[in-house]
Amino acid sequence: MNWEQQLKLQAWIDGELSESDARRVAAMVESNATARALAEELRMARAFISANEPVVAVPESRDFYWSQIRRRIESPETVREPVAGLSWSLVWRRLATPLSGLALVAFLAVISFNSFRSPVIDDGSRFMVEVENLSEDVGSISYRSQSENMFVVYLYKKDQDVDSETSAGSSDDTFFQ
Amino acid sequence: MRQRLFSRPIVRVSVALLLLAGSTVQTFAANLKLEAKLIWGTDDAKSPNPEHKEVDAATKEKLRKVFKWKNYYVVNRITKPVPSRASNKFELSKECTIEIKELEGPRVEVKLIGKGKEVHKTTLNIEKGQSVVYSGDDTNQSAWFVIITELADK
Repeated sequence: MNWEQQLKLQAWIDGELSESDARRVAAMVESNATARALAEELRMARAFISANEPVVAVPESRDFYWSQIRRRIESPETVREPVAGLSWSLVWRRLATPLSGLALVAFLAVISFNSFRSPVIDDGSRFMVEVENLSEDVGSISYRSQSENMFVVYLYKKDQDVDSETSAGSSDDTFFQ
Repeated sequence: MRQRLFSRPIVRVSVALLLLAGSTVQTFAANLKLEAKLIWGTDDAKSPNPEHKEVDAATKEKLRKVFKWKNYYVVNRITKPVPSRASNKFELSKECTIEIKELEGPRVEVKLIGKGKEVHKTTLNIEKGQSVVYSGDDTNQSAWFVIITELADK
């Protein structure tokens, strides 16, 4: 028996064949022992399944379920207007975590920038001093007293002699009134 | 169930923003509170101007270690803030003005203006306890000093 014949046999048992096909298959079953055995087996399986199929009975009727569904659809509670406050709070809650994360990252970036930048400035230019004479008539001598933590700029008129102790003699140039 | 005063996301964002604000202040705020003093140095025991008061003992000691004069008198004293990245003028006398500009660092640019003309400019780091002193000769073997210091409270 080939595959097609087996399918025809199953259809014959289920009563799905036309009259002429059914006659042909019945003849085959009578003449062929294999076909007969298969037919018997298929009949047994069919009978077993149909006899033992579980039937689940619902407690309420079909109409009852439909009426429940219709009532739910038509009840005013099902039509809910979106609440403005709720949506804002939802948006806020969703944004809060990424925003706080971003702020934290920015904070860490600023802190690290500061901590990495400060030592360079401290070491490089802490004691760097730029002095500039802005008047052609005035000269200057500058020095740092480490012991007194003092940076001194001594100004003198260029046409006067400068005392080596930065304490020159008399001068007419004065900032006093 | 107990109702919380602040929800957890609000607290998180508030803390993060506070931290950010704090770091920003640390980065950009460098407002200086500076004191500029005009001082007259002399060997005379008394100042001819009765309004001049003798400098405090610590300043006198400090100046004596660096300069040769025995006595130092305060002619004028001005305390002013210098805002971050801005400048302020300290008019110590009609003839002497100091202009101080706060720069990044924090560094300061100190400009001495004498008789309305810019005389000298110094740019340096300023630290608490450090003094920047401008000096020059005055009449009768005396001298003038401008002492700039950063005060403790900014």
